Amino acid sequence: MTDTSVADTDRLSGNKDMIVCEGVNKWFGDFQALKGVTATIKEQEVVVVLGPSGSGKSTWIRCINRLEAHQGGTIIVDGVELSNDLRNIEKIRSEVGMVFQQFNLFPHLTVRDNVTLAPIWVRKRPRAEAEQLAMDLLERVGIPEQADKYPGQLSGGQQQRVAIARSLAMEPRVMLFDEPTSALDPEMIKEVLDVMKDLARGGMTMMVVTHEMGFAREVADRIIFMESGEIVESGTPEHFFTNPTEERTKLFLSQIL
Amino acid sequence: MTDHITIDQTPALPPEKPRLTAGSWVRQNLFSSVRSGILTVIFGVFSFFAFKVLVNTMFENPDRDWLAVKTNLRLYAAFAYPITQFVRVWVALGLVLALLGLSLGIWRSASAVAARTIASRLIASGLTVLAGTLLVGPPVLRDEAGEPVYDETFEALRGTWRSGLEQRTGWFLLAFALVAAGVALWFGLGSRRNTLTVPTTLVVWIASGVVIGSTWVVRYGHYGLDPEGVPVGDPDSLVAMSTRMPWTVMWLLVAVAYQLGRFVSRWNSSRLLITAAWFLAPFIAFWVILRDPAIDYGHVWSTDLPMFLGFGVLGGLLLFLLADPKIGELGRFIAFLLVVVAALTFVSGFYGWFSMLQKARISFCLLALFALMANNFAGDRQTRLRFAGAWVLLIGIAHYFITLMNSPSTLELRADSFLGGFLFTMFAALFGLMFSFPLGVLLALARTSTLPIFRLLATWFIEFVRGVPFITVLFFFDIMLPLFLPAGMEAPDMAATVLGLVLFSSAYLAENVRGGLQSVRRGQYEAADAIGLTGAQRTSLIVLPQALRVSIPPLVGQAITTYKETSLFAIIGVFDFLRVANYVVPNQSTPVNFIGHKLEGLIFVSFVYWLGSITMSKYSQNLESKMGVGER
Repeated sequence: MTDTSVADTDRLSGNKDMIVCEGVNKWFGDFQALKGVTATIKEQEVVVVLGPSGSGKSTWIRCINRLEAHQGGTIIVDGVELSNDLRNIEKIRSEVGMVFQQFNLFPHLTVRDNVTLAPIWVRKRPRAEAEQLAMDLLERVGIPEQADKYPGQLSGGQQQRVAIARSLAMEPRVMLFDEPTSALDPEMIKEVLDVMKDLARGGMTMMVVTHEMGFAREVADRIIFMESGEIVESGTPEHFFTNPTEERTKLFLSQIL
Repeated sequence: MTDHITIDQTPALPPEKPRLTAGSWVRQNLFSSVRSGILTVIFGVFSFFAFKVLVNTMFENPDRDWLAVKTNLRLYAAFAYPITQFVRVWVALGLVLALLGLSLGIWRSASAVAARTIASRLIASGLTVLAGTLLVGPPVLRDEAGEPVYDETFEALRGTWRSGLEQRTGWFLLAFALVAAGVALWFGLGSRRNTLTVPTTLVVWIASGVVIGSTWVVRYGHYGLDPEGVPVGDPDSLVAMSTRMPWTVMWLLVAVAYQLGRFVSRWNSSRLLITAAWFLAPFIAFWVILRDPAIDYGHVWSTDLPMFLGFGVLGGLLLFLLADPKIGELGRFIAFLLVVVAALTFVSGFYGWFSMLQKARISFCLLALFALMANNFAGDRQTRLRFAGAWVLLIGIAHYFITLMNSPSTLELRADSFLGGFLFTMFAALFGLMFSFPLGVLLALARTSTLPIFRLLATWFIEFVRGVPFITVLFFFDIMLPLFLPAGMEAPDMAATVLGLVLFSSAYLAENVRGGLQSVRRGQYEAADAIGLTGAQRTSLIVLPQALRVSIPPLVGQAITTYKETSLFAIIGVFDFLRVANYVVPNQSTPVNFIGHKLEGLIFVSFVYWLGSITMSKYSQNLESKMGVGER
């Protein structure tokens, strides 16, 4: 296995570690989904996780905010270790935003209420302040005019952008993206990726599971390639796409490019 | 050149649905083929004769005497409640109707009826009344004593059709009025009848206004007749005359409350307040109808007021501190401690370790509940003050009502023996449902909980209750409950059985809610977790609203069942609405002999039950379309 802890770019060298995974294991019954995953993600780093389906990419990032419980190894997010302690889980979840493949917006709430929910109930912000924040965020993802609609009235791309705004409303330090464009029609993928690029440029720490190679090449500081629950290769996009060292990586790239 | 160009500012309406003419509608729907034509004729003839038999059985039969219903309207309404105290019933009813009007105004329904539909319904019902009036056979001849005259084969002798038609002027007038109103609406509106819609609430209000207004004109019944057949009391003591004023006031009250509701709906807290008011209503109604508390003011000054101040001020202070966002673990510990204290007050009371007023025990429970919730209401100073204020308000109201309930009543009447009729049915159904809904939701949540002890208890309770007939539950609560109560405390039959109703229907409601809970997708839970909501917030803000929306149809179905199940109270001796019709009136021999006249009452009672059920079912249909069930 190649070294997974070093991000090469200069801009990240002085930054502290945001997510540290040490030998993370996870079983579903007898099936081992994660086999000793070890990686460190620096503050402001953008990591794209690639791999064939069933390779454990989604499971891994779902472990990072405890939507799945890992069963071996340690995960430390921003200095807080994930364990069964509810306080730590609550703390980490309020620091880590997550965007899902199926958007998972709350269908019974308007777009505005979807975004203000967490600031009001988790951060205990006054409603007026939370609504101002929500409008700023909707502005940022480009759909302030949809604030009073319900999620069911929006297109897939718009829904995913609302989902991103909803996560940002918690002012998270890390954003996790679990195949954010996989459920979208092709013409809507770009609008979501543009928002994500903006975020990356703004210095957000991001872990993105995706199949968008163009995005990976353009935005990622580092690409992690997984297969069968293990990290196979990790490196800069340049290294990954032009000069991969592992056979399995080459095979994967030959199938998708 | 521009003067004849008009720009239509109104938004384009969707193209009108093409309407069939009456003739082509009949052809396409009733006689589209030979087979459907035959079926139409067969079932048409069948319906005709069924209708004819029904109206003849109901109205022109020697055994029918609608005086049995007309004379006993007060028994049907409130059984033997003392006439001198009737104003209490009106106050309680007014309270419920005012709350209803407020709620309708706050949660305004967008549902509306097309003017075309109203007009055609009016014409159709007018024609039905006309047909019924014409189809009823000639009246039975009666002798001077009012007994039907029979011939030697025991066939009732009948008068002529002509005399029958003359006697039924009222019905003809009704039919004519309905048809005339319908026709006037139809042609008066012209082509606008297709586009104009009237809010359903307004239609119902106007319709009930017409019925109530008619009591000023029509004599619907009287309190009773003396043996000579003369109305008891002064000749003006007709039911319509003593109830028309209160009903008119009620009718106007609903409208005023509706407007008030519309006005206050702009404040977010109005919804919470009105919900709280609904839950206080049964206690107020109970107090208004059954109590005239003789409050012991010495006790109030020496005990009740200091206790309220103690709980209000100290509890408020404590809750203000607990709602500090920075308190963290200490807050949870204090809340847990309070739960232990609250539990201990009951345990110690049970074993008699130390005595304490029941009021204090209940207050400790409420305080523990608030302490547990404190974290969810944490925030800035103003939010915390509001939370503490809510506590003071709640504990004030609770103490006030407990004091009232504990005070002896100057009305020396036992509820069981004189309260009944529709009043009881309505209050039992309304308040039974109101309490079984939250309990059902809690049970459903417990059954789907991750904590095995909750799951186990809820499952056992639900499966046990669902496995037992309702009558068993009633008998159990009627006979067994008093044995479990501490000495000196007694629950009236009615309270006990309403408690049984609450538990019984909550088990069924729980299963309906559970169905809704299962329809909420996994992703919703994950999204709620991912944005950092606590478990309680996830349930109340994300999962339950979606689950309840999906379960509206089965929940309303269960509500209708519960409403009708109150008629089973007759079995344990409560004089409910049905029992008055089935038992009380048919056994009445003075002042007028109504022995054996059961069917009239049963028809009347069924009609009233049907009216309630159809209202609920129509309302649920509106609610479904409003909340968009089935469309995401």
